[in-house]
Formats: sequence, structure tokens, C-alpha cells
Amino acid sequence: MSKLHVSIVTPESTTFDREAEMVVVPLFDGEAGILAGHAAMIGRLAPGELRVTAGNETIRFYVDGGFVQVLNNRVSVITGRSEFPNKIDVAAAHKILDDVKINADDKFEMVELKNRTLAQARAQLRVAQKNS
Amino acid sequence: MANARKLDKRRKSIRNIRKITRTMELIATARFKKAMERAAAATDYTRRITEIVSDLAAAGLEVSHPLLEPRAETKNAALLVLTANRGLCGGYNGNALRLAAQRRTELVDQQQINTIVDVSGKRGISGLKFRKIPVEQTFTQFDDQPKYEQVESIANAYLEKYVAGEIDRLDVVYTRFVSVSRQEAVVETLLPLGKLAGDAKPGGEAATMYEFLPSAASILEEVVPTSFKVKLFKCFLDAAVSEQIARMVAMKNATKSASDMIKSLSLTYNRARQSQITGEIMEVIGGVEALKG
Repeated sequence: MSKLHVSIVTPESTTFDREAEMVVVPLFDGEAGILAGHAAMIGRLAPGELRVTAGNETIRFYVDGGFVQVLNNRVSVITGRSEFPNKIDVAAAHKILDDVKINADDKFEMVELKNRTLAQARAQLRVAQKNS
Repeated sequence: MANARKLDKRRKSIRNIRKITRTMELIATARFKKAMERAAAATDYTRRITEIVSDLAAAGLEVSHPLLEPRAETKNAALLVLTANRGLCGGYNGNALRLAAQRRTELVDQQQINTIVDVSGKRGISGLKFRKIPVEQTFTQFDDQPKYEQVESIANAYLEKYVAGEIDRLDVVYTRFVSVSRQEAVVETLLPLGKLAGDAKPGGEAATMYEFLPSAASILEEVVPTSFKVKLFKCFLDAAVSEQIARMVAMKNATKSASDMIKSLSLTYNRARQSQITGEIMEVIGGVEALKG
């Protein structure tokens, strides 16, 4: 079976770059699994857990939203931040949940920005808890 | 003729200075290489984002977003100045500050725009204080390897302000890295973003038909703020790289000047020593002659 080539690119570095059988990415509206031979696709990611299955190990990452691009068995995950679940700063995420409040008179775009921050914090906690 | 011992002392102290400047040059070189690597990694990211934008454009989507459109009226602007935390880097800080002051005058006096100035780097903070320019926010946490996370939080703060209407435009003054031998202080308008890179070639060779999940429009919504953040990050990276180069060059020149100075001091010292010896011999000969007589 042909294999997928998976790379995770952040602005600071390429954090992951190798062959794998399957990738499960947290798309905006739910998880999606990608196998070799997948059609060309660009997807919007939500903050959440990304799983890469290579051989018989599963590598998990937390990704901070971003995009996934699938083309000719190459999967590029483009994200602002990717982290191993055990490296997540749980205290910082809790602090964000406590600090960021949406006010009734916030503009629409403002609410979106805040929602995004909150969603990232929640996703971090979720991924950290699941893998602890 | 100057005192030979004094000259020797001076020569020694300049030798010490030369040692220090040479070390600083080496450190700056090492840091420059590291900063350069990071900039390369960021370029990879930017390239992929650009790819997505051109794919979106190829899919026939009209690229429009509130962050791309200029505001009908610009009342409030923000000016972010990127300087170094440390000096000894030639004209690096001075050039950026001069440009920032010039830009601010343009905005405030000529266009009557209410401008707030934010600055990163201790040198910039003291420089603007000296020029009596009020500063709103200061950042000193950026060194030769700015973290994306830190830049992102600043970017988010600006986005929030822009969306809330507190600012209508954001200009960044930084030193752009053109090549190893050329860096220049520039002003770049980051908000509104104007055009996205990659947007320019619509249709082109629509080689692949992508499936967009959930939709092309939704992806665009995400691409635009991301490009802004990456652009800002790039500014920080460029500034960091340029700073190291500027320091490298400044220290190289300092080392060279120190060497030249040591050379000329050695010359004077040897002459002084020689004439001292000659003087002493003359005295001895004079004494012998006197005894004979």
C-alpha cells in the first residue's frame, strides 16, 4: 500500500515530517481521517488533537487550528502551534478560560476572536486530560 | 615625546577592547546564523499559506475580507517600532527610530490622525523618550529568537483593537533584511492588509481541483488573520536577523579600528622608547666626556 507523507509546519519550524499510514485531523466540523489516495483537499482545522498512525505507533499532537492540505499523498498541516499533549501548559489554559469574557456589546468579529481563544484553551485542556 | 610607559598602558587597554569586540563579533555571527535558520523556517510556512491563497483564487473565489479593505476614514492609527534591546550595533536602532519619528510626524501633523506608538526593545524605549514621543505599550521580551507565540499574542491584541475600531490602521517600522550586505529601515502597513500574496494570479493553471472543507469562504476567513500574524512575525524575525548583522558589522569595524590604533600606538611607543634610550646614551657619553676633561 502506498504511504502518506505527513508534515506539520509551524512558523517556527517543521515539527513533524515523515511517512505514515493514517492521519486523523481535527477539522472545523469534526475529525476526519486521511488515508493514502485521498482526493486533493484543503481543510480548515479547529484547535484539537491530531493523530498520526505510523507502523504500530500513534503519535498525538495538539494543533492550534490552521489548515490541512492534501495533495498526491502528501499531507501538510499548517498551524500556528503544535505541541505534544504532555507539553501543554494546563495552568495557562485555565487562566485564559477565567480571564476572557464575552460582553454583550462586543462586535461580531470581536466575539469571533474571543471565541477562538476560548476554543483553543478548551481544546488544550481536552487534549491534555485525555492523554494524561 | 610622549611617555613610553603611558603609551604602553594605552596599547594594552586597546588590546583588551579588541579582544572584547572580536568576541562580540563572533557571538553576533553565531546568533545571526541561528536567526537566519528561523527566518527560513518561517519562509516555509509563509510559502504554504501563499499556496493556499493562490489555490483559493484559482478556485474562483473572490478574495475579500474586512481586514483587507481600507477604512473609509482613518482616525486612529498605531505605529509599532521594532528596535533592539541592546546597543553596539551601529546605526541599527538610530535608523529605525528616525524613520519612526518621521512617520509619526507625518501621521499626526499632516494627516491629523490620532496615533499611538508602541515600541519593542529597550533602545527604542529610551530613544523615543529622548525624542519626547509618548509611548503606549512597550515590549522587551524579544531577543534574537522571537517566539511565534509571543508575536501572536501581540497580533491578536492588534486584531482586537482593529476590529473594535480603536485603530484604523497599523504601521510597523522595522529593519528589513534584504541580503546579508543590505538591510534597510522600512515602514510597512499591516492593517488593513491590502492584497494577499498569491492572490495575483487568478485562474492561471488550475491544475488541481481541491475539495474545500467546510467551504472556500470559510478557509479564507481563517487565512486572512493568519497571514497578518505571519507577516507581523516576519517583521520581528527580519528585525532580529538585521540586528545581528548590524552588530556583526559594527564589531568588525571596531576590531579593525582597534588593530589600526594598536599599530600606530606601537609605532609611537617604539619611537618614544628609542629616543629615550638615545637620550640616556647621550647622557652617559656626556658624563664620560666630562670625567675625561
